[in-house]
Amino acid sequence: MSAGYIDELHEAFHSDLVYRSEEIPLECSPRPKEMEQTLHGVMKLNGLVIRSLEEIAGRGANAVTYRAGKKFGHEVAKYFQKREDVEGALHELSDLLRGQYSFEVWKPEDKETFIIEENGETFIYLVFHDCIVRQTLRRNGLDQGGPLCQTLFGYVVGAIEEITGRKAKLEIVHTGPNACLKKLVLK
Amino acid sequence: MEIHVDKDACVGCGLCVKDCPMHVYELQDNVSVAVRPNNCMGCLSCHEICPAQALEHRGIYAARRHYIDIKVCEMLRKVV
Repeated sequence: MSAGYIDELHEAFHSDLVYRSEEIPLECSPRPKEMEQTLHGVMKLNGLVIRSLEEIAGRGANAVTYRAGKKFGHEVAKYFQKREDVEGALHELSDLLRGQYSFEVWKPEDKETFIIEENGETFIYLVFHDCIVRQTLRRNGLDQGGPLCQTLFGYVVGAIEEITGRKAKLEIVHTGPNACLKKLVLK
Repeated sequence: MEIHVDKDACVGCGLCVKDCPMHVYELQDNVSVAVRPNNCMGCLSCHEICPAQALEHRGIYAARRHYIDIKVCEMLRKVV
């Protein structure tokens, strides 16, 4: 390695900035626009981790990622207001997921209410529009509905359980490039 | 939601009929027809699956697309 190259490297990482430990950063640095490469790097890494996990653990990968997501959901929702009504809980959840995921409650036109009772099950359809998991999967050419989707499932279930105190289950009904339909089963 | 099927382009393969979980499409005289457009939740998997690119959705929410690489797009723009 030439001395010139080393000097050049040192130069790139040198500045006259005075950094004090008590200074709390008030904004992202660098600006989000400049973070594109980082975002793509994180998506690529996530995709590789998930692909390797699936190769080694097979279907067990779903259980691992679901568990991880559920724990995360419980953890994050712990600090949110507790609600007994599902509508309120979904509202809280929507706030919780803002920026990463966006969803709406949805119903087919032949149903009168959003809370549907069918075959002894009570459920709500959720349409997920913006989803960082879908972005990651498409970035890596991976199928939707696999272990990475299970992380989001676990996250939603964990958060709903934490907010309402009721057991819940989420099922994939359909996945698409622009939105995914999920069924939140209430117990 | 407004769904338009280009009847001249549609090859009547029925993939959109099979794929849609909400039974939005039906095959009529070998052409796909959006019979229940209000049941569409905008997943756009029918767009992805249609070999003839015969579908058009109006009034849809387009999800964010973070996976598009700006540098690749810039290169493509130079070529296309």
